[in-house]
Formats: sequence, structure tokens, C-alpha cells
Amino acid sequence: MRQPIRAVATAAVAILIFSACSSGATPSPSGGGASPSGVSTPVSAPASAPASTSAFDPQSITGTVVLSGWQSTGAEGDALNATLDSFKTAYPNITLDYQPIATDYPTAMAAKFSSGEPPDLFYVDSSVAPDWIDQGVLQELDTTAAARGFDTSQFYPGYLDAFKGPDGKTYGYPKDGNTLGMAYNTDMLTAAGIQPPTNWTELAAAAAKLTTGNQKAFCLSHTLDRALAFIYQNGGSLFSDDKKTNTVDSPETAEAIKTYLGFFQNGQAARPADLGDDWCGKALGEKKVAMIFEGGWLDPFMTSSFPDTKYAWAEMPMGKEKATLGFTVSYSIGADSANKDPAWVLLTYLTGPDGMKKWTEGGIANPSRKDVAPAAGKEVLVQSADFAKPWSFIPGFSKVSDAFNNAMTTQIEAKSDDPAPVVSATSSAIDTALGQ
Amino acid sequence: MTGPAEPTVTAAEAIVAPSPPTTVGAAGDSGRKVRRTIGYALLIGYAFLMLIPFLWQLITSFKTNPDALRLTVVPSPFTLQGWQTGFLTLDPSIPQLFLNSVIIAGAVTLTNLVLASTAGYAFARLRFPLREFLFIAVLGTLMIPDQLRFVPVYLIERQLGLITRNPINYVGVVLILAVEAQQLFLMRQYFLSMPRDLEEAAKIDGAGHVTTFLRVMLPLAGPALAAVSILAFQGAWNGFFWPLLILQSQDHWTLPLGLFSFRSEFRTDWPALMSVTVAAILPILAMYVFFQKYFVQSVASSGVKG
Amino acid sequence: MAAVTVGTSSGRSAGRGIRGERRAEMLTGLAFVFIPLLLYVFLYFGAMVYAAYISLWRWGLRGPRAFLGVHNYEQVFGDPIFWKAVTNTLYYVAVWVPLTMALGLFLAVIVNQGLRGQTFFRAAFYFPTLASSAAITVVWIFLLQPDGLFNSARAVAGLNPIFQALGYTDNFNWLGSSRTAMNAIILLNAWTTSGTVMLFYLTFLQQISRDIYEAAAIDGAGAWQTFRRITFPLLRPAHFFVATLLVIGGFKLFDQAIIAGGRGGEPSNSLTTIVLFIYRSAITDSEFGYAAAVGVVLFAIIFTLTLAQRRIFGEAPSW
Repeated sequence: MRQPIRAVATAAVAILIFSACSSGATPSPSGGGASPSGVSTPVSAPASAPASTSAFDPQSITGTVVLSGWQSTGAEGDALNATLDSFKTAYPNITLDYQPIATDYPTAMAAKFSSGEPPDLFYVDSSVAPDWIDQGVLQELDTTAAARGFDTSQFYPGYLDAFKGPDGKTYGYPKDGNTLGMAYNTDMLTAAGIQPPTNWTELAAAAAKLTTGNQKAFCLSHTLDRALAFIYQNGGSLFSDDKKTNTVDSPETAEAIKTYLGFFQNGQAARPADLGDDWCGKALGEKKVAMIFEGGWLDPFMTSSFPDTKYAWAEMPMGKEKATLGFTVSYSIGADSANKDPAWVLLTYLTGPDGMKKWTEGGIANPSRKDVAPAAGKEVLVQSADFAKPWSFIPGFSKVSDAFNNAMTTQIEAKSDDPAPVVSATSSAIDTALGQ
Repeated sequence: MTGPAEPTVTAAEAIVAPSPPTTVGAAGDSGRKVRRTIGYALLIGYAFLMLIPFLWQLITSFKTNPDALRLTVVPSPFTLQGWQTGFLTLDPSIPQLFLNSVIIAGAVTLTNLVLASTAGYAFARLRFPLREFLFIAVLGTLMIPDQLRFVPVYLIERQLGLITRNPINYVGVVLILAVEAQQLFLMRQYFLSMPRDLEEAAKIDGAGHVTTFLRVMLPLAGPALAAVSILAFQGAWNGFFWPLLILQSQDHWTLPLGLFSFRSEFRTDWPALMSVTVAAILPILAMYVFFQKYFVQSVASSGVKG
Repeated sequence: MAAVTVGTSSGRSAGRGIRGERRAEMLTGLAFVFIPLLLYVFLYFGAMVYAAYISLWRWGLRGPRAFLGVHNYEQVFGDPIFWKAVTNTLYYVAVWVPLTMALGLFLAVIVNQGLRGQTFFRAAFYFPTLASSAAITVVWIFLLQPDGLFNSARAVAGLNPIFQALGYTDNFNWLGSSRTAMNAIILLNAWTTSGTVMLFYLTFLQQISRDIYEAAAIDGAGAWQTFRRITFPLLRPAHFFVATLLVIGGFKLFDQAIIAGGRGGEPSNSLTTIVLFIYRSAITDSEFGYAAAVGVVLFAIIFTLTLAQRRIFGEAPSW
């Protein structure tokens, strides 16, 4: 692209973008669904401060805290503003300066980190957490939590573990979470006379029954951030628990991939692009498929874009074990942040039971703590967090993802169900990433 | 597109050839007319093709959100809701965004006009040491992608105190776009293609370099100046990379930043977004149409006659 | 005679002599280019020096992590994805530049003719450029979907047998197939950039006096001949300008690549361009040193090519 056009071009990039801008067109954001009614609760009276030892009184902290994250609007923006307002009421001694970043969050943050002036509290997506921890830009939190008595036992491990570094220390607290569930078109399943499948056998049977003529049973994304759930369900994995060993080359993994590819091969599944959609949610909305595997972010989308399509949630079918993926975003403090104390107070409020309750009660997002009840209709997704594994691995993981995705594309386009090339490509990428 | 491939006068040729049409011993009049009509039809078809994205944005702005995702040409129902939402309820407010964009784009256009024309002239017509080397250096700036230089640029601007929430922040953005090599390059090429006689005449009359530039060359560079204005304005108006990086306060956001932020991946109000997008095109379109007169050849452009 | 009103206010009349003249010229020239060059030093060359420096290190978000010397460069040249990015980008430039130049020139010449509805055509042809490229890319994605407008239209127009003969199925996923994705982007960009190229050529066309055309007409030159012998050669400064810009710009392809193909340059890295590769290394992998090394290599490539182009176009100043 040439200079003038690029200048023109870098115009409101996303405004017409239907597709998600990250690769694989599969979204993995935080903060999933929004209830149709939106959030309009008035700022309530301040809740009690988080449990603290007698030594630490958060009200004694004063100063400014700069909060950042990617911009959210509409119902999400409203919910966030309401939550921030209740913080301001609860902690009048702290000035909150909210500076969202409009677009391309990673680039803007890279510049801020490089200049040594990051915001005081900001979002960290679980998929980049290992990289940022490795780069040393996040503040370790365990020491402060112990000294000031912040209880982290209520966070779902599937979410909290995403922000633990190789040293075992925690570098962020999840602000909410989303798991993958199975969303299915209720009419189509009723018409075919089947119940939502609960295990792989039933899944295969359902797939066969729901594939008729041009209609596919599923929309499946070829990408690792969906397929991995199946790999886990069959007992396979990418890494050992300590994330130091490559474990992808196993019969369980190969079998899982083979099954996944098999759906494409026998015409029961299609990628969103092949259906003319940028992600599977759209395919479900357009009634092109009966089942998809996505997270709570599907709900606001369906409500606003496809209000007439009836669908319901079920847990992901069980393979040899129950497993699904957990996507989450943390609030973290920067290692170089200027105002760490006020940031800590804000952090513990937002990820403590009070702040999180405020944030999630309208159904905008699902809580990442067990002691905060989910909004109505979100139970399945929240309960799935019990057996969710974090979507967060090692620094340089994006290359592993890319290798897997490319290999899957090749196999799918060749209509093959042979998992070997996928496994070997992924394995090499993992070895390279571990080697670093 | 038809190309002038045949040996005889095709419709395209008839259109490509400059008037007056009475020159070449043309083929029969009616044959020409038919070919001309076909040529026109093709042109109109192509022009329409060019307008499709914009028309589609316009149509979508009058639809409801679910309807917006469908491939239909007629909104059903037809509604002004998108426009209402877009202009009344979004935050930061649209007028604010427009104002910020106008300030930045206006400033960038002015700086480009002044700096690109003077420097372009110098590179084209004035002799000074290392001129050619420096010009290659200017071209060299085009070869450095933004993705590569954004960190050092950010650091420098921070040192200069431009990364801040108070209004001087705007200078940070304008500085980066103040004189784009492309505009400078354009002006230089244009001055190069102007006849030398003009300057020689001025010299004979005793004019110095600055006077020659201001009184002789610049007034005749209308088309190039118009192009620079359009391109500089457009680039600054539509650009989002540098405003993203440099602008610190939401109150200073330009239109593209605002538009991007209105898009939430799974809950975008497309009609509202489209309404603002359509409105955002209008200033550039206005500029473009305004400067059209510089691109009409009927205006005498030779400068030196006889 | 051009009406040039010259007062004696400039003070640089003939009395100064040649030396004074040359000095005045030199000073004026340097004064005129001073501010742009100053800006460029800080915003570009400073950045380039910075990039060259950090390319010798393993450089992360918080600064240097290890000194590597030329190791980054060794790794770059041994990286198959880098080479894929290079071939993708070279292919793009080789095809897109001539295509867009031709298209833009064609449009400019047409629109310069004083046709009826000229203003409308000029505006219409420029429209794809006006709208943001992201918007256009999305529309393009929309149109090229398997069940999108393009496939539907060609089915209706009965063109499918031709496509099938070429190996394209009826509901072909143009942007989703590694074979065709890049070509689709080329067409997209040629289409959107044609407006700006048209603008450039229009600008330079204004320099060509009508008298020349009239003289040619009197001499009995046909349309094509006039174009080939007169218009085309007289546009040489424009050709150099457009070709240089497009080649440089082509090497910097990023926006459409990332919008259509995502960070991974999918499908299968077919849309990974050099700049996308730099972006990925810097932002996704936080490997700024590596990204800088690629950037230095890219700069060297473009620089060499531009110098070569200068030779080809014989672009020496007309002294």
C-alpha cells in the first residue's frame, strides 16, 4: 500500500469490519454477553472494603490512578462506568483517571511500556499474559496480597492460573471470564428429534442427523483456540503441567484432531469462511448450522443482530473427560507504573466480590470468582469454568497457534483427516518456542 | 474496460483523443456515435462500481441493525434510527470528534502546502550543495514503514513534552504529518515539468529567487497545490495510526478513533456507525469537488505563449 | 510574455554579480529545505538509526535483553516465513504497480477530455480512495464470500463454465484460498488506489498545453498516436513519481493484509507481507530487535530498487 492510500487507508479501520480483526476470526475477548435490558442501575451505596488485615486500610491511600484498557461502548461501556462510579463513591480519596485506548491496544501498550510510563492499571488478555510476564512489564501481586490480606482463593483456577508466571507468582487478577460452551439452535434439534449431545458418541450421532442436504451440523473454526478444547477432552495436551515439556505428540491428541478433521471431511462441519461468515456466531444466527462452540460473547451479538434465532447453551460434550477452554482478561499493575498503591486499591475493588458483582450483574460479563453469582441465563457458561483450562501458555505461543492453524487449513482444504502433519507442525513450533 | 486495441477508431480512442473532434478524418458519424455511447455506458458502469461501497454504507445507515447484515438493497424497514443514534447518543460526541479532526487535518494541510511547495521548488530549481543526495534522503523517508519507527518517534515526542493530556498534544500529531515526503516529491516533480522560460523571464526582469517562487512559480502550480491539499487533508482526516499512539485524551480523539471505538466486536450498531462514516466522508468529498477546477484543462495552463 | 511584476523590493538585482547570485540561490535553497529536513532527521532517520542499533540486540518491551551482534540478521535470512513474506511482497509489487499505474493513467486521460458529466466521473473514480481502505476491504471481503455478490453474479451471468474450466468451483472462497487470496488483494488495491493515481496523472496532465494537442491534430495524428507519442512521453516526471511511490508503497503493504488475513497472514501465510511480518515480530512477539533487523533489510531492498528506478527513468534534474 502506498503512502497516500495508507494514510487514507488507516482510516476508521474497523468501522465496516464485520470480521473479528484477529486471526482465525474467532473472538476471545473478555466480557461476554449483555442482557437485552442493558445496565441502568444507579450507583448504589458503597459496599464494604475488601477484607483486610488490621494493618492495611485502603481508605488511607490517596492519589491518582490511571486506568486503561481497550475501549468498550454501549452496554459494556455503561456497565464499566457504573462500576467505576461505585468505586469512586467507595474510595473518595482516590482520583480515578480513565483513559481507554481506542484501537490496536497491543501497539499502544508497546509504546507505553517502551517509554517506561504505562498506565497504573490495565487489561491483560490471557493469551499475551505469558509474554508480558516474560518481558517483565507486569507487577507481581502475591507479596502485596499477603501483606494486605487480599483473598484470591475464590477465583476459578482456570482463570487465575492464566496470570501466573513460571515463577509461580501471580501477575494479574481475572476481571471476568468466559468459557466455551455449545450453543445450539433449539428448533433444529427439536425437528431432528435429538437432545443436545453430552459426549462424543452422541455428538457424532447428532452431527449425522443434523447434516441434511446443504445444511451442515456445525460451524467449526479450524483454529487452535477452539480445537484445543477437543484435544483436552480426549486427554491430549500441548504442554506438561509445568509448561516446560512438549506433550502434543500423543495418540490422544492425534485422535482428537482426527475426529475434528473428520467432521470437515464428511461434510458435517464447515469453517465460517466457507459459509460466507466471519465467525461461527453469524452462521448460527443465519440458521446455516445447528450447533457452534463459542463463549458468552455470543449473547449480545445474537440479541442485537439475530433476535429471531432461538438458541440455548449446553456444556461442551465430554470426551474421555470434561474440558473446555477459559478465556479471560486480567487487571494488572505495570512494573513501571507510577501509582501502584491507588492501583492496588482499584484492582482489589474491581476483582473483589463487590466490584465484580457490579460489573457482571447485568449479564455483560461472567464472573471469574466463585463467590459472585452469575446473571440469569449464564449458569452453564459459568459452571463450565470448573473444568476450564486457561488459554494461556508460554511466551511466543502465537507462533504455535499460527503453525497449528496453517496446518489445519491445509488438511481441511485437502479434505483429509490425517492428523500427523498438524501434530508435527505444532510440535516443531512448540519446540522452538520452548527453546527460547 | 475496453482498451484502444483495434487499429480503427474505437469508442475508447474516440474518448481518449483530445477534442476538437473535427480533426482526424473520422469514420462515419453514426458509427462513431454508437461507439461513443457504448464507451459512455461502460464508463458509467465502472463509475457505479466505484460508488458501490459508499452507496452500501449509505443504504445501511437507513436500516435496522439485524437488517444491516443482510445482502439487501432496500432497507426494510427504512429508519432514521441509525442517524439518530450516531449523532445524538455516541460518546465522545460526534461534533467533538469532527472538530478535532478538522483542527488536525486543517493544520496538516497548511503545513504541507507551505513546506512541500517551498522545499519542492528548492529541490527542483535551486542549486545548493548536496541537493541530489538530500533529495534521495527525502525519498528514503518513504521507505521506512510506520510499524518500524513508532517506538522511537513516541519516545522523542515524549521528550519534547508532547505526550500529554493538554491541547499541545495536537502538535504531536501534526508534527508527524507536517510535510510528507510524498507531497514534497509531487511538488518537485511538478516544478520540474514547468518550462524553464518562466524563471528565465523572471530573472531577466530582475527578480530574486524568493520573488520568482512566490510571484511566478507558485501561482502556476495550482493543480499540484490542489492535489497536495486534497491528499494531505485526506491523509490526516482518515489516519488513525498516529492519533492512536499520540493522542492521550478521549476529548482529543479524531473521527477514526471514535469510530473504531464505537465498534464493539459483538454488539456493533452498524446503522449508527454507517451514518457517521458517511458523514465523515463529506468534508473530503467537499474538498475534492472544490479543487476540481484545477484539474480542468480548459483553464490555460501553459504559462508562456509566444 | 508572462506578466511578471517585479519590484526592486527583492533587493537582489543584477548589481550583485554571479558569486552573490549563486550564494543567494544556495541560501534560499537551503532555507527552503531546512524545516522538512529537520523533521525528517528526527522522525525518520533518528528512527532508522535507532532501528539499526536495536537490531543488534535482543530487545524487549523494557529494553535490551542481550547483545546479539548480527545474530538477528542470520536468523532473519534463515527464517522461511521471512522468505515467504519477501516472495509475497515481491509478487504483489510486480503485479500491482503496473496494473494500478495503467488503470490510473487510463482514468486520468479519460477524465481530462472534457466529457459530459466529467465532474461526476472524476468524483466517482475517486470514491474508493475517499472511503477508508478498511471500509473498502470489508466490502470486498463481503462481495467475495462464497455466497457473496461476485459468485452469485457470475452464476447469473452464465460465466461459471469458464471459471470451472480454470479450476474454480461455483462457490469458490476467493479470499479463503491460499491460491487466490493475494490476487484478490491486488485487484482490491489496484481498484482503490486507481483514484489517487488518477489524481496524480491529472495533475501532471494539466502541464501539457493544449497547443501541442492542436498542433498534433493539425498534423493528422490519431488518438492513439497522440497518446503514445505526445502524452505518454511528456508525462515522464509523472511516471517516475507514480512508479516510485507505488513501488515503495507496495513494499509497505499492511492494512489489507491484516484485515483480510489476520495477524497470521492466513490462509497459510499467503497474505504475510514484510511489514506484517515486522508488526508481528514487534507487537505480537515483543521481539523489537528482530523486527528492526527485518526493517533494515526492507529499507535496503526498497532503497536499491528506488535508485535503480531512478536510473531507468533517467531521472536526473533537467539542468
